[in-house]
Amino acid sequence: MNELPQQLVNGLLLGSMYGLVAIGYTMVYGIVQLINFAHGEIFMTGGFGALTVWLILPGGTTLWLALPLMIIGAIIVAVTIAVGAERFAYRPLRGGPRLAPLITAIGISLALQQAVWAWYPGATSSLTFPEIPGGPFHFGSVTIQTGDIFLLTAAPLSMAILGYFVMKTRTGRGMQATAQDPDTAKLMGINTDRIIVVAFALGAAFAAIGAVAYGLKYGEVNFRMGFILGLKAFTAAVLGGIGNIYGAMIGGLALGLAETLATAFIADIPGMQQLGGQSWADVWAFVLLILVLLFRPQGLLGERVADRA
Amino acid sequence: MTTQTTTADTPHTTTTDERTGLIALPPHIARATATAGGALTVVSAFLAWTWTPAFPGDLTYYGYPGGLQWLVLIGGALTALFGLASYGIKGTRWLVPAGADSAIKLSALAAFVTAWYTVIAISVQLGGVINLEPGGYVVALATLAALIGALALPFERPQLLPADPEDAGWDQFKHRAGNQWATTKAAFATGPIAPARRLPGYAEILIITAVLALGLTVFTYGIGTEYDELFLGFLMTAGFGFAALNKAGLIARVSLLTARHRNVAMIGAFVAAAAFPFTQSDDQYATIGVNILIFATVALGLNIVVGLAGLLDLGYVAFLGVGAYAAAMVSGSPSSPYDVHLPFWAAILVGAAVSMIFGVLIGAPTLRLRGDYLAIVTLGFGEIFRITVLNLDGTSGPDVTNGSNGISSIPNLNMFGFDFGAVHTIGGFTIGRFANYFFLMLLVTLIVVVVFRRSAESRIGRAWIAIREDETAALAMGINGFRVKLVAFALGATLAGLAGAVQAHVTYTVTPEQYQFAHVVPPNSAFLLAAVVLGGMGTISGPLVGGALLFLIPNKLQFLGDYQLLAFGVALVLLMRFRPEGLIPNRRRQLEFHENEEAPATLTKAGA
Amino acid sequence: MRQRSLLILTAVLTTGALSLTACGSRDDKGGDAAAGGGTTVVIGVDAPLTGDLSALGLGIKNSVDLAAKQANEKKYVDGVTFKIEALDDQAQPSSGQQNATKLVANKNVLGVVGPLNSSVAESMQKVFDDAKLVQVSPANTNPALTQGQDWNDGTKKRPYASYFRTSTTDAIQGPFAAQYLFNDAKKKKVFVVDDKKTYGAGLAATFKAEFVKLGGKVAGEDHVNPDTKDFSAVVTKIKNSGADVVYYGGEYPAAGPLSKQIKASGAKIPLIGGDGIYSAEFIKLSGKEGVGDLATSVGAPVETLPSAKEFVENYEKAKYKEAFEAYGGYSYDSAWSIIEAVKKVVDDNGGKLPSDARTKVLDAMKGVSFDGVTGKVSFDEFGDATNKQLTVYRYEGNAWKPVKSGTYTG
Repeated sequence: MNELPQQLVNGLLLGSMYGLVAIGYTMVYGIVQLINFAHGEIFMTGGFGALTVWLILPGGTTLWLALPLMIIGAIIVAVTIAVGAERFAYRPLRGGPRLAPLITAIGISLALQQAVWAWYPGATSSLTFPEIPGGPFHFGSVTIQTGDIFLLTAAPLSMAILGYFVMKTRTGRGMQATAQDPDTAKLMGINTDRIIVVAFALGAAFAAIGAVAYGLKYGEVNFRMGFILGLKAFTAAVLGGIGNIYGAMIGGLALGLAETLATAFIADIPGMQQLGGQSWADVWAFVLLILVLLFRPQGLLGERVADRA
Repeated sequence: MTTQTTTADTPHTTTTDERTGLIALPPHIARATATAGGALTVVSAFLAWTWTPAFPGDLTYYGYPGGLQWLVLIGGALTALFGLASYGIKGTRWLVPAGADSAIKLSALAAFVTAWYTVIAISVQLGGVINLEPGGYVVALATLAALIGALALPFERPQLLPADPEDAGWDQFKHRAGNQWATTKAAFATGPIAPARRLPGYAEILIITAVLALGLTVFTYGIGTEYDELFLGFLMTAGFGFAALNKAGLIARVSLLTARHRNVAMIGAFVAAAAFPFTQSDDQYATIGVNILIFATVALGLNIVVGLAGLLDLGYVAFLGVGAYAAAMVSGSPSSPYDVHLPFWAAILVGAAVSMIFGVLIGAPTLRLRGDYLAIVTLGFGEIFRITVLNLDGTSGPDVTNGSNGISSIPNLNMFGFDFGAVHTIGGFTIGRFANYFFLMLLVTLIVVVVFRRSAESRIGRAWIAIREDETAALAMGINGFRVKLVAFALGATLAGLAGAVQAHVTYTVTPEQYQFAHVVPPNSAFLLAAVVLGGMGTISGPLVGGALLFLIPNKLQFLGDYQLLAFGVALVLLMRFRPEGLIPNRRRQLEFHENEEAPATLTKAGA
Repeated sequence: MRQRSLLILTAVLTTGALSLTACGSRDDKGGDAAAGGGTTVVIGVDAPLTGDLSALGLGIKNSVDLAAKQANEKKYVDGVTFKIEALDDQAQPSSGQQNATKLVANKNVLGVVGPLNSSVAESMQKVFDDAKLVQVSPANTNPALTQGQDWNDGTKKRPYASYFRTSTTDAIQGPFAAQYLFNDAKKKKVFVVDDKKTYGAGLAATFKAEFVKLGGKVAGEDHVNPDTKDFSAVVTKIKNSGADVVYYGGEYPAAGPLSKQIKASGAKIPLIGGDGIYSAEFIKLSGKEGVGDLATSVGAPVETLPSAKEFVENYEKAKYKEAFEAYGGYSYDSAWSIIEAVKKVVDDNGGKLPSDARTKVLDAMKGVSFDGVTGKVSFDEFGDATNKQLTVYRYEGNAWKPVKSGTYTG
């Protein structure tokens, strides 16, 4: 049986999730040049927000009814935390040395992780997430799970909405202006503080959607799911060209495909039998990142090479 | 918010002769109360505070202080001494070169916080105030009196702006809170330091010696605290006490002296550190000591990368791991795939060299790019290192690292016939295994300190600082940015490798899970970075102090348990917000962070 | 004048502070002997009491505590009161080593139960061996700890005489599962997955070796990173390999989702693992799709052993906040073996602890034999448990049900 089609689908699904989370990194970085290390944890809190909504809904609610509410719950939690972090932790440090907000971000990331671990009931181990009923769908040799349907719809839809927002709306154009030159944007009457908040909020909203997709796909959420995924998503953002929202999705897909194909096929290359398998996938993803940085430092889609540091 | 600029032009100045305290009391009564309160606190430490030995430390004796009572006694003694000094009594004036009042306040606070903490802890643990003996009430009242007296001492009120009546309630509240904060800060502010009379050289060196001995004592006491309450009390007393000495101007005096006799101070500090194992009767605390040294030394190595060159390395612990693995593999361990047993000097060089190679391999592609890429690549490298080491076990990769079992049973060192694994007796003192390694590690620390100092003051060190401050300008001045950064990065990696080689021998075993990004047990990348930031970027003593604190606090406060990492994360955020320059700030950085405020008092004498 | 007073004051302050250290600890040593009139023997516990593995660690601590309480209640050793001192190693070798030196420094400690992780044990063994202090691990599975690095080549050599364990090693549990699958369940084609950790990789390796020896076929092999939950690529490989069973060496947090994803892909084959997945959490995480999955665990099923039932009852009576988890029974047995050894030493010495109690207890450990929670507890010449009773459980309904219990024979 030919594995390739199924593995390609696996990679694209994984990559869409990376892409959804990567959007948050890329938007915040594009505007304030800050690597928001806490973004992975914001993604995680989104997952727990959705789970909380599900748990407080009366038992027996069908998922089709609950799902929109869960998405809203996830977005509310994630956006609140992201905007709160921006307001109280990052904003006071703006204009200061570059290291300060990065270290703050690491602090927030650890604190969020541990707070969920310690205070969310039962979160010391993985918590089961509701599943969409209905069997898997078969297309030839490819099988798609019901849980993946959500991801398959949400990822392109979110990208389309985001693209429209950034290109067409006033706030979106303000974001572009701020990203290009914050001082001039300010002079042109753009409230850059507000733009930054919007960037954090939008990134958190997409992360929250990604978190719901994660829960539906894997049937569980856990307090550590944000760390590794955040790391991968940031890698994806860099791969695609940081600051470019389409780049984030492209980078995510590239990374997801690279990992999956490495797991599936590297062991088949003569002489590399031992270097295949899932335990090496992260290493290959890292090698890919280094290669891209070496030969195309602006990323796959990035254009800006100017150093504004 | 913009309307406030107009009111700012007509400030309601409070005239300078309006010098009042935070609590309304006549100044002379306040001063007397504070001094007498301090003296009474000292006396009360000799009373019994509780009736039962059930409270740790057994505070039931008369005339024989124990545990927390000693700490309160020191706080009280400091208060009384500063109080006497504020009367200008002959022979005590040297205590307060920068004025006594805020020192009195802080030392009274030290005694108060520790005493009330003890009294409350007794009442809560044993169930009710009924468990207090009269001594408990005496000490509570004495410290309270001292504190009230101290807070009533007059101080220079700052000029405050009234709130804009048109502002919304929240803004008014914020404004008022800001004013209160300014007042409180002014209450603890201190004047400029009176110039010290020049002492003869031997006397200055003697003072340095005494200070170092004191430092060793404080450290030994802290490391040896046997129960949580005592350690907490120690932290409170030491923290406020240190602040009091600082406000009194003594710390500045001492740093002036150490700056004048730098080499003496440095050698003295190492002698003091080397004396630590001799104060111990068994290996219990030497184990902690050697681990603190490892952690602090690695943090110092990271300070070259982060503090001097301004490169954010989030996977630094991986270089420690590389060094540890490399040294372990050539140590003759039976689980190493290589059947070689190099002498230690060769093993440590191998560890350092392999670390350096990895440093160059990681640094070369990324250091040409913007700084932020380095952060993600190093973070990735930290994770990849762990994963790769797990994989190289002969099943899912070549047999190099023995996978998750790691390289174990690393034999003890034997140098010049000195067996590090055995117990030795030196001059009547028993020196156990971990004390032996403590000395070895101290040597490595010395090397790292010397390397740090020499390189920071050299041409390349100035280039690092130039790059850190403004890369574009530095490049324009003809500095080869990439090469200079690569040297910093590789040097940092090499020094971590050195420490790793010793660490492998101390713990007998190197396993992948010792080298993580964040964990409650130092060393890990997050804690290393925090040690540098907490201590002070770009300084030598900063990471050493930060490292010691960050190691001891989680180690001693086991009751924090599951909340350690949470507290750590929150502390990191608060630290960045309120004291980004760290405990022992680099002069340049302090100015940078507080350019709007008046320069700190210590800087006025900085020319020496 | 001023200079001199300054110097004198500095000197006074320093000596005062120096004497403080000496005085400050005046009362810390004396307190222990007083309690209860008799002798106090402390059993040390070293386990991860905080962090990800704290559930297992607290189970160990509580079970040891229960053993000490039971011994005190029954006045099992005349004139001796048992206390426990539990230290947190946070699953880190360096912390474990610090705890080891701390326990060695406390002269009342005559035995230590722990640790959970094999790597932590590595860093502790030598410290305890130098002090002749008995260490009994309830959970270490790495055969090298008792049989030396070259155990697999047939040259077994015990590295440290003070190290014992009540848990079984990978060398027993893996092959037992292989024999069950091949002989009883008639599975011939296996896909082996492990998580690269000490426990999982060791188990998978011994399982694979035995399965191949029996004549089974390994359809494929993969290693996963248990921190990520996306196993889709591996699952596709499993499905296409045509294996009729999956062996997973690792723990339930990854095993549950893996089992679920295997079934969802359309490959209706069971997953089998060691006692790391024999947990109610696995059932929760794998969902109803996981029905039919298998797990091996050491000892006979709890229901068939009276001593085990008694342990469960007493544990519930003692109202600990945490469950005893996977290693509770072994921990109780570990602590009880130390208590037995202390009893023998005290009885031989006319009802009193001898001055070289640690060495004597170490000697007595070799002869310890009693019916414990996990079956008969005694130690062979390497310090390993002689009990080689294992049970296979199957996930049925919504619980683990025993399907076969047997003794592993070489």
